Amino acid sequence: MRYILQRLGFYVFAAWAALTLNFFLPRLMPGDPATALFARFRGRLAPEAMLALRETFGLTDAPLLVQYVTYLGHVLRGDFGISIAYFPSPVSQVIGNGLVWTVFLAGTALVMSFAIGTLLGVVAAWQRRGWLDTWLPSTLVFIGAFPYFWLAMLALYVLGFTLRWFPLGHAYGDDLTPGFNFTFLADVVRHAALPIGTVVLATLGGWLLSMRNTMIAVLGSDYVNLARAKGLAPSRVMLRYAARNALLPSVTGFGMALGFVLGGSLLTEIVFSYPGQGYLLVQAVRNQDYPLMQGIFLVITLAVLGANWLVDLALLWLDPRTRESS
Amino acid sequence: MKPAAPPRSWARLAFVLAALGALACARDVPRAPAGVLVVSQEQQASWIRNFNPLTTATSARWPTLAGIYEPLYVFNSLRSEYVPWLGVGHAWTEGNRVLRLTTRDGVSWSDGRPFDARDVAFTFDLLKRHPALDRRGLWGFLSSVDAVDERSVDFRFQRVFIPGLDEIVAQQIVPRHVWSTVADPVAFANENPVATGPFTEVRVFQNQVYEIGRNPRYWRAGEPHFDAIRCPAYPTNDRANLALVFDEADWAGNFIPAVDRVFVGRNPEHHRYWFPLTGSSIFLYANTRRAPFDDVRVRKAVSMAIDRSLMVDVALHHYSRPADATGLSDAFAAWRDSAAVAAGDWTRHDPAAAGRLLDAAGLLRGPDGVRRLPDGKPLRYEVLSVAGWSDWVRAAQVIVRDLQEIGVDATVRTYDFSAWFQRVQEGNFDLTLGWSFEGPTPYSFYRWLMASATVNPVGIAAMGNWHRYGSPAADRALAAFEREADPAKQRALCVELQRVFVSEAPAIPLYPNPSWAEYNTSRFTGFPAADNPYADPSPNKFDRGELLLVLTTLTPR
Amino acid sequence: MSAQSAARATGVAAWWDAIRRDRKASIGATLLAGFVLVGIVGPWLVGAPDALVGVPLQPPSGAHWLGTNGQGQDVLTQLVVGTRVSLAIGFAVGLAVVLIGALVGVTAGYFGGRVDALLSVIFNVFLVLPGLPLAIVIAAYLPSGPLTLGFVLVVTGWAWNARVLRSQTLALRRRDFVAAAVVAGESPFSIITREILPNMLSLLVAQVIGSTVYAIGAQVGLEFLGLGDVSAFTWGTNLYWSQNDSALLTGAWWTFVPTGLCVALVGFGLTLLNSGFDEITNPRLQMERAWRAHLTARGRTPTRSTPVVRDRD
Repeated sequence: MRYILQRLGFYVFAAWAALTLNFFLPRLMPGDPATALFARFRGRLAPEAMLALRETFGLTDAPLLVQYVTYLGHVLRGDFGISIAYFPSPVSQVIGNGLVWTVFLAGTALVMSFAIGTLLGVVAAWQRRGWLDTWLPSTLVFIGAFPYFWLAMLALYVLGFTLRWFPLGHAYGDDLTPGFNFTFLADVVRHAALPIGTVVLATLGGWLLSMRNTMIAVLGSDYVNLARAKGLAPSRVMLRYAARNALLPSVTGFGMALGFVLGGSLLTEIVFSYPGQGYLLVQAVRNQDYPLMQGIFLVITLAVLGANWLVDLALLWLDPRTRESS
Repeated sequence: MKPAAPPRSWARLAFVLAALGALACARDVPRAPAGVLVVSQEQQASWIRNFNPLTTATSARWPTLAGIYEPLYVFNSLRSEYVPWLGVGHAWTEGNRVLRLTTRDGVSWSDGRPFDARDVAFTFDLLKRHPALDRRGLWGFLSSVDAVDERSVDFRFQRVFIPGLDEIVAQQIVPRHVWSTVADPVAFANENPVATGPFTEVRVFQNQVYEIGRNPRYWRAGEPHFDAIRCPAYPTNDRANLALVFDEADWAGNFIPAVDRVFVGRNPEHHRYWFPLTGSSIFLYANTRRAPFDDVRVRKAVSMAIDRSLMVDVALHHYSRPADATGLSDAFAAWRDSAAVAAGDWTRHDPAAAGRLLDAAGLLRGPDGVRRLPDGKPLRYEVLSVAGWSDWVRAAQVIVRDLQEIGVDATVRTYDFSAWFQRVQEGNFDLTLGWSFEGPTPYSFYRWLMASATVNPVGIAAMGNWHRYGSPAADRALAAFEREADPAKQRALCVELQRVFVSEAPAIPLYPNPSWAEYNTSRFTGFPAADNPYADPSPNKFDRGELLLVLTTLTPR
Repeated sequence: MSAQSAARATGVAAWWDAIRRDRKASIGATLLAGFVLVGIVGPWLVGAPDALVGVPLQPPSGAHWLGTNGQGQDVLTQLVVGTRVSLAIGFAVGLAVVLIGALVGVTAGYFGGRVDALLSVIFNVFLVLPGLPLAIVIAAYLPSGPLTLGFVLVVTGWAWNARVLRSQTLALRRRDFVAAAVVAGESPFSIITREILPNMLSLLVAQVIGSTVYAIGAQVGLEFLGLGDVSAFTWGTNLYWSQNDSALLTGAWWTFVPTGLCVALVGFGLTLLNSGFDEITNPRLQMERAWRAHLTARGRTPTRSTPVVRDRD
């Protein structure tokens, strides 16, 4: 229990650090959202309208510290302010719109990649120096060396544009209404296949190698040999004895990978015009939409922190040593 | 010993993949239902519901400005004429200090309430009470707006200012009975608009697509001819172009490279485009507050060094043409004076003449081939452009190449938009690319190019005239133009402005921007085309309502 | 001290040996050497990358081996020039990231206590903050250019190295020779530089390689988003322009496929090289290698397996 609380405390601290960074970073840099706003009108906006707008957005000249305290208070209440680019919508609404898709995309991709990669790693370790072990890791590492978005571009070009097997973008068909029915869900799967597929393909190699290498180490350990000597079925030895223990480092890496995969899926989203946070973030940055940018960065960070905490819980369950020490 | 588990998991994986594949091939790309026009105009990651036509905080959407709401007059930029819309006529009285505008009879709001002159007066009053909504700066020259009766509105001016008409009639009108109860119209999202336009019923609003159905009470009998407008959210130009190529979108206003091959080539019968040169003219601005660009000979020499034909090939895929020395795009074709164009020899590519001009200005080549100022400083300049605006970056690359040839050591420098804009507005540059002002008359265009009133000191941000050039001759012509209501005399004054521009070369015109329009005639007919030029074909032309002309003409097959 | 320099020398010799003997490592080293050579010499052999050489979007031909891009510039030239900048940034960031990581990690691991607690919290926080979004946000506010890019990549990338090197330092701190040095009254600085760092050399090299892979990938990603200097010539900006010029739509695969392949080949080469190093730094794999050599020498076929006595199936 103490362990869990300790970790929770750390994540809260990390969240605060992210908040602070998030607040000061844009304000210490050159540039001003009003200028960017002004720019969108290519000079068609009268100066009086501009001045009035500044006030509407609360672009005040109050001391930074005062702004900071106000900001923290608002964030605690779940109020990220008003988006500049999507005025007058609150940032929370703009983010809420796409968050579910980003979480779906990154989450599914991560879980699939982890499951498939780990499984392949087990197989590769078991058939050490078999054809699978010889070719698969190198191939996947090679594929993994490509930038995600490049694979995405290629997949879109070949499978979407040329062969027309998959839709070219969006999360579901434009003429469907979101709902919990087969047509809609099937369409979501169809649209998600390429984005998820490319992320999975690009990240598979890491999981495979990590699992394979640990498995090889574990397979050489005494208790596995003992299990084998006892005459237990090979599959049982492999899965129950070796794989479960070899899983630990991979699970530890899972939390870390989440941030990484999220980053990659942001790029992938842009290529597939997936209605998630990816393009929204880039756009917010371009428009110097501080509130929106802060909101997106914060939400992504919180998601990663939350997932890390869940991973900690999973580790607790997987690794008795952690349980004992707490 | 054979491992038992792997084959099963392989089988499972194969099954999953097969299922995915089957699912993937199950449906072809869906087309929108008949009568639904799919338009791609702005690039957004996802839609947020907002149909406020007065908002200045975000750019209001095109359907909001020209589709849901309507202006008093629609401006047809191709014919350079006004089409009466919610207003039917106007007259100047009291020595051109009062504009009386007559509103249309028989128009009703989409909720059934009648539209009248009081709605117009209310709308302008709203802008007065909330300066953040006054995006055109109307109250900079208006002193009062009153409904005289149900059909007429009086606009009283602070001073005689004829070009003010152009800004007044472009204003979208909102219903008094709805907006008078809105507490904060600046932050009003107006999710269910009540309006006069051809499309007013928001039927679908999701983050990746929205659809607006026709207004059953539209005042133009029998129009619109189709059922709804659908706007999918495409985050990038590229994605929007894919939608066009694959017949997902019917109408778009994007830049497409190699359009003949990429778009038309895939379906020559129905994939069409028309890029009239009615966009904003693109200029190379030289900071006239810095030597040697304060010398007209140097500005002209820089201009003559530039190979504009190569520029429009490289930067614009041959979609535009080199600008003439008046700088006017085809949106001002009716105003262009052929004598002024002929007199402007300094937009013709002639590096030798450019070199002679620079020699005459005393900027001689040093031993390294780079020219020197009289004080010995080499002519070494950065040409500023915006990062990611590929046409500009390429145009800048051509300029740099050409300037080096005449002994000016130029390099391209790209900045992020806001950083670039700040420098340009504050006059903190030597050479930069930039746009120019548009409008029904060349008044704003020339005013922001050479009126002394628009010159801000270096360091103070300016809305236009970034090169900071003031011409007394232009000031006189502009002042006369402001007081002149007679179109023929306006034309003469405009010719005078062109002459001044051609002789003083305050800025260096490069090329007129095309108005982008691609359309698919397989489902709808009636798009403007070169052989049927009834209006500008681009969905980007919503600011003065021109798009309404197209929306009320399109017919489903 | 001579014992240590000897150890260092054998270390370097062992690596060369490992690279030569290990097939993967030698492939990786060859790939990498090829790219480094292109990066160093290449830009002098090709013309100016921004020269307008012909009609835009020409497919590969004899005149332009990789065709021309959307601006009528030679793709091969840009690729070659981009190699230099991209690799330079990649290696510089890889090195910087490990240096900072080593500074923080070793300090934390060596001194322990409050110093360790504070530094650990800092790098753990950086570790859980999602890298790419953070990088995007920072990069957007600094003037675009290679320095900004490098800075952003260092800020988002150093924490992992700090963590690994801290645990390694903790392990070494408990070893006898470090304890002996402490007892002998050597200063912490000299213990760290003379006892601890040399003993982590192989790990440090592996870290540099790994960080370089990260740096090149992240750099290309950020530049692809237009957050780099788009008028520079790097692999990332090549891809950015390719996308900007609608490569998909125009079917101009030659504007983005070669660049992507180069990114992948460099990353792949580095990874192979690393796995080659792993063979000599990981004792278990080392033993296995010996065992296999032993079996082969006796005319037996080595099977899958680790060097423990095991059943034959």
